[in-house]
Amino acid sequence: MMLINKTDTVIIEKTSSVATDVVSPLIDVLVIPARLLSSVYDYVHELKRIRDDNAVLREENKKLVMMTGKARALEIENRLLSGLLNYTPPPEATFVTARVIAEEGNAFSHSLIAYTAGNPNVKKGQVVLSENGVIGRVEQVGQMYSKIILITDINSKIPVVVERTRVRGILSGDNTSIPKLVFVPLDAKLAIGDRIVTSGVAGVFPPGLPVGKIVSTDKNDIKVKVLGNLDRVEYVRIVDYHIIDAPEPTQTDPSEVEANSNE
Amino acid sequence: MSDEFQENLIASIQRFLPFVTSVLWVLVSYLPLDTFTANNLRPDVGLTCVFFWTLYRPDVFNLFSVYLLGLVVDIVTSAPFGSNVFSFLVMYLLVSNLAAYFTAKPFVVTWYGFALFGLITMLARWLLVSVYYSQFLPLPMLMFSVLATIACYPVIGLVNAFIENVLMKDED
Repeated sequence: MMLINKTDTVIIEKTSSVATDVVSPLIDVLVIPARLLSSVYDYVHELKRIRDDNAVLREENKKLVMMTGKARALEIENRLLSGLLNYTPPPEATFVTARVIAEEGNAFSHSLIAYTAGNPNVKKGQVVLSENGVIGRVEQVGQMYSKIILITDINSKIPVVVERTRVRGILSGDNTSIPKLVFVPLDAKLAIGDRIVTSGVAGVFPPGLPVGKIVSTDKNDIKVKVLGNLDRVEYVRIVDYHIIDAPEPTQTDPSEVEANSNE
Repeated sequence: MSDEFQENLIASIQRFLPFVTSVLWVLVSYLPLDTFTANNLRPDVGLTCVFFWTLYRPDVFNLFSVYLLGLVVDIVTSAPFGSNVFSFLVMYLLVSNLAAYFTAKPFVVTWYGFALFGLITMLARWLLVSVYYSQFLPLPMLMFSVLATIACYPVIGLVNAFIENVLMKDED
């Protein structure tokens, strides 16, 4: 079975997504009492902190109001300059918010199952965000449920860039809670705390999405702490940037391909 | 409804109980728990159920049930398809061949046995999946998962023992 799976056969993928749709409603039913208990506990726990949070939020709100003014001015300036340069803006993003019904994390894999209610806008390969940043991508789309591979999973490879130095690399999951940054130039100047964002290389993930912060800069072991809180993901945002709507590759005759390559 | 039909129906339900409860345990183990420990070091509940039912009720929890349970877990997880089936079958083979050593032994001995079999099984799976990905998976994470699995055995064993002793009593 593992060998068949390794060949990425479409039939295995389709069977698996249908099977996920069959099993997931059972988890969805079981999740109701678990969520209820959890929310009661959280409610009691959070009541204690509400006063302190209020003060912090008021202060933060003052700063945000000031920032909004500045952001508006910059947006107008940006639009004017973009118009002058004939710049083609990236496509508008649309979001699908989905509830997480199952989580999995161990030495073998890190993934989520989310209830997408058969939304036609959810497609394989789309970026998945939590409140703070990228947490994964859609791996399997079923009729009602979708499987999401987290960026900590061994199958996850995201082209990223260090925000400060613009050094490119690949954020590679290794089934631990902190993925590592690979394919980084040896002379790259990295510092602990540097923000990592998506680079947009390869065209699957749009550029500039926050991913994480560097927590270790050892030569062969650059570790990145993910910004999105993977331990408390209740809802996820599946983002459609319309950049993976490439036409399906057509079936070609292998002999034809061989002939072309020989030329 | 005749008594005979009712008895047959109850007997059939009882035969499916080990598999059904195992599936429920597995599904419960994937509920979001909002903690770092729970989301990174989940116990392999399916393995615990395979050990328990193969040891105590091999008549109703056979090779087919083990295979089917492995498939259910493979569907829910994103681990290489078939790796859970593999580990469950390894556990099934170990228990079915060495079950005699646990007959009429105190619970602690069975628990030690599970710890040993669990370690062997999960290491075998770790090796297989490492070969699949052509890179070693994090061993510390695996060890924590093994410990979590061993630690949860008494709880799952207790509930399963209740099902076996109370709900499946009449079948014999």
